Amino acid sequence: MKKLVIISTAIAAIIFIRATTKNSPIDKESLGRILFSDPILSKDSTVSCASCHRPEHAFADTSAVSLGVERKKGLRNTPMAMNLLLANSFFWDGRAKTLEEQALAPIANPNEMNLPVEEAVYRLQHNKKYVAYFKEAFNSEASKTNLSAAIAAFERTLETAESPFDNWKFSDDSTAVSAEVKRGFALFNGKGNCVKCHFGSDFTANEFRNIGLFNGKNLNDSGRSIVSGKADDIGKFKTSSLRNIAITSPYMHNGMFKTLDEVIDFYNDTRKIVPNAINKDSLLVKPLGLTLQNKKDLKAFLISLTDKRFKQ
Amino acid sequence: MKILFLAFATCFAFTANDKITGRWESKPSQKGNVTGVVFKTDNSLEGYVNRKPFVSGTYSFNIEDSTLSFVDNGCNGAKGTYKVMFYHNSDSLRFSVISDSCNGRREGMERLIMGKVK
Repeated sequence: MKKLVIISTAIAAIIFIRATTKNSPIDKESLGRILFSDPILSKDSTVSCASCHRPEHAFADTSAVSLGVERKKGLRNTPMAMNLLLANSFFWDGRAKTLEEQALAPIANPNEMNLPVEEAVYRLQHNKKYVAYFKEAFNSEASKTNLSAAIAAFERTLETAESPFDNWKFSDDSTAVSAEVKRGFALFNGKGNCVKCHFGSDFTANEFRNIGLFNGKNLNDSGRSIVSGKADDIGKFKTSSLRNIAITSPYMHNGMFKTLDEVIDFYNDTRKIVPNAINKDSLLVKPLGLTLQNKKDLKAFLISLTDKRFKQ
Repeated sequence: MKILFLAFATCFAFTANDKITGRWESKPSQKGNVTGVVFKTDNSLEGYVNRKPFVSGTYSFNIEDSTLSFVDNGCNGAKGTYKVMFYHNSDSLRFSVISDSCNGRREGMERLIMGKVK
């Protein structure tokens, strides 16, 4: 009798485990989510996409430049990997035209994951778990195409639209934000000139601008011109989204500003920080003349763009 | 008499805006994006994509010739004026440009077909 009970319990346990496993089907988005956090895609299996695109920081990093395999330093600040659904180019210099193209570049980049994509695919094709997952999500074995498709599909799910600002504007809840935020939004559209570049549902017009952080000396990243080959593009970088900006410091392509206060001070009079900028956008030639209260209001507005999922 | 006139004028103004007042949304595009706009009773408007606000402004609507004029925060203060064409018992609408110096906005507006969100 005792034997029968043990056998019955074991069978029940197996059925339960199988049933619960079946409840977690793998689609390409969830496969992308798993891959995003798996160091299997780096040469020494120590770095994953999520090592630098940290979920708790809106998929950005907290250091000026991230560390890749063997603690190699990246060249630019890790951009947010959120709210990219409407983006039309990727990386600070816009060298990738699609999320799929973007997804593979860090894997192969020697300063980041340093693993040839072909080798990454080989690893996945010989990993029991991923063989099953790719079969389920794509009905095929892992390949360069479906690896990038899975990661891109996951990244497309990383949209946020539930910040206090969204509640104020989309849900028409005037109590969702403070008077400071409302004044800050007015400054954003007016005296601050911010909207000229940060226009759109993700607060970026998806353009490339030279904001005055190129002087050919200590600030010598040519940015967009490396990709386009155009002299006019020297020092231009993609305008960042401002969604969740309060939790993605440090800022700018080189991560040179640690706080939003520093960023606002910079825009208020860029010459004070970089007096010898080359090819700076005409929008930033004249100082903005922001008062202390203006700066506080702008900062409050920027903080109001933080999605509720990141609230403590 | 003055009061009666004011009451009539108020009532007419409400009716005039009422045709366009409210929330309008497009069907999902090929990429699944939904564009919407809320025309509020205080003559402000809020546009959004996928529930994300992207444009704020003020508008006026002339019911007699179905003309919408507005300014927003995206086109350096340029005013856009459009003919609004209502369909299906005013449950859906589209815009035809009368004047708008903001090319990007004009292209976007002329593509839009939106239905009233009830």
